[in-house]
Amino acid sequence: MRPSINRPPTPEAEEDQEKEPTLQEIINIKLIESGEKERLKELLRERLTECGWRDEMKALCRAFTRKKGRNNVTVDDLVHVITPKGRASVPDSVKAELLQRIRTFLVSAAL
Amino acid sequence: MSSATASLPTSSKNNHYNGQLPQPCPHLSDFKSRHGHKPFRALQECLRVKPLGRAAIRRDPGEVPRCSSCGESSRPRLYACVTCAAVFCHSPPESSHAAAHAESILPGHEIAIDVDRAELFCCTCRDQVYDRDFDAAVVLAQTAASTLGGSTMRAAPPENLRKRRRVDYRPWTPDPRERILMGKYSSPLQKGDGDLSAGLPWGLRGLNNLGNTCFMNSVLQALLHTPPLRNYFLSDRHNRYVCQQKNNANNVPRKKATGIDSSKNLRLCLACDMDAMFSAVFSGGRTPFSPAKFLHSWWQHAANLASYEQQDAHEFFISMLDGIHEKVEKDQSRPHSQGSGDCCIAHRVFSGILRSDVTCTACGFTSTTYDPCVDISLDLEPSQGGSAKMVSTKSHHACNSEPDSMISSQNCGISTLNGCLDHFTRPERLGSDQKFFCQQCQVRQESLKQMSIRKLPLVSCFHIKRFEHSSTRNMSRKVDRYLQFPFSLDMAPYLSSSILRSRFGNRIFAFDGDEPDASNELSSEFELLAVVTHTGKLDAGHYVTYLRLSNQWYKCDDAWITQVNENIVRAAQGYMMFYVQKVLNYKASEKPVAS
Repeated sequence: MRPSINRPPTPEAEEDQEKEPTLQEIINIKLIESGEKERLKELLRERLTECGWRDEMKALCRAFTRKKGRNNVTVDDLVHVITPKGRASVPDSVKAELLQRIRTFLVSAAL
Repeated sequence: MSSATASLPTSSKNNHYNGQLPQPCPHLSDFKSRHGHKPFRALQECLRVKPLGRAAIRRDPGEVPRCSSCGESSRPRLYACVTCAAVFCHSPPESSHAAAHAESILPGHEIAIDVDRAELFCCTCRDQVYDRDFDAAVVLAQTAASTLGGSTMRAAPPENLRKRRRVDYRPWTPDPRERILMGKYSSPLQKGDGDLSAGLPWGLRGLNNLGNTCFMNSVLQALLHTPPLRNYFLSDRHNRYVCQQKNNANNVPRKKATGIDSSKNLRLCLACDMDAMFSAVFSGGRTPFSPAKFLHSWWQHAANLASYEQQDAHEFFISMLDGIHEKVEKDQSRPHSQGSGDCCIAHRVFSGILRSDVTCTACGFTSTTYDPCVDISLDLEPSQGGSAKMVSTKSHHACNSEPDSMISSQNCGISTLNGCLDHFTRPERLGSDQKFFCQQCQVRQESLKQMSIRKLPLVSCFHIKRFEHSSTRNMSRKVDRYLQFPFSLDMAPYLSSSILRSRFGNRIFAFDGDEPDASNELSSEFELLAVVTHTGKLDAGHYVTYLRLSNQWYKCDDAWITQVNENIVRAAQGYMMFYVQKVLNYKASEKPVAS
């Protein structure tokens, strides 16, 4: 018997991934492959630490944990609690700097 | 951007799990019991260490992880199942394909790893879990990556790690023969000249100002009451008569040869002058002492500073320690390693070791160097201190830009000594003009530098950089900003072991990739013993020292010594702070204080 007859059907999941990748995905992949995403993440980490954002988030987590009790808190709870405040309190200068870096990258990557 | 890295709330800067291992969830225990001896061994190959030491999970180095269910690669949290290695996204509350995966298949797929952080997660409990074996594997990979390039690249830690021979303490009382000797060759000290000074502790004596010498007097007062230094000289460890005799014996032939420079051949020994000063100050006399001989000797040592102009107290301090060291070195060719303090009493008391790690941001290779130091100079910047308010990043760079902006920047909290130490030990991104040559990349790369303390001295001197000299603008100015300093200080968070631990994150791993800190032998707790303060302007100012004796504070303003309330000290403008190891601050000296 020919092996091709017994070849299992192509799984459906693969079909979805053969769609044309969105611009966002292309950018994301280029960022990752060039290592720029990692550098941007490190830069962001540094800026957010410098301006006290990280300490403020830590304080929020501690306060929440103290209230709920150490054993009743999960990572997901903490992320859920601090995400809105966290997103809102990123300093504008940090946002501006990162946007500028990304813009520069996009230009250099000829996208 | 990605969600904040949450961690167990026990973490503070210096201990990351308080000695208690977090209990594994039932799913983790299950997984471990099922997978036997080295459950995470398969993952070891997928452990990639990114530049700067962060660990990640990638099947192959260039992989862009995406969720097997939805194909998304830009989700902030992606998890790889430890059993089947499939990657799923997790973005509660909207969707969690990771949780779906844990529920859908047969049990055994609940445990996953965060692909960007290499941290364990239980998809069913929806919480981080911790495992010693796993963390050990991660730290191993991280250390291997950071020391890539050969172990020869690593700076050898100083050899002062040989175990110091401990001598057991035995209380001593003189035997009859010793009693006779003591009686014969000494005279009892008189307690004070008058009743006014009856309550003052021993050794408190004013120092006359010999012409703008408050910079010297202030430092000398602090040193006269530094316990290890005081004990050294008062126990006759440097006898000035013996030293003088020895020197005269050595100098005699030279004197004949060079008849001209006879003044230089006159014995110059700062330690002898210190010995004389200690004897005078602790003799019980209360009239102010004139340290003229000492000043003269110091002038000979530091010729460039010899004038009647006001000098910098810190500069004097460094110069003086150097003078004591130099003289001793000439006499004895005692072999010593840098920072061990075996060379002279000055270094024995003040010398510590700083560790500097420079990490290449491109490949993560870290170069470590150790340098001895006799003090720590700290920047005083507005953005330090325990303020909850956030500051714009502009003020962080104030030091390098317009000086006015630093003065006028909003007061966002008080600067504290701990804040300055945090700043000192922060990871600092070196500018693109300071690219560091990376051994691994073999080119100059941008890098991160981080300082930490490898060995604490017996007495820590913190120097606050209040005097700024800008050669570019040809001007100098003084920073008057108030600095809050504690009376008790714990240096544990600034030790290399703590800094390294915080750099490597929340891993359960006894970090002995490095040898244990030499300072582990002594505690890291310090007590404030003296504060040298400066008031006035850069060119027309005055130094005053506050001494803490038996938990009372005394203000030493040249020849005038007065007892003051501790609040006066707290409010003073600290320029140099001397902290002594708590274990050396004998309990007997602490009388109960009603403040």
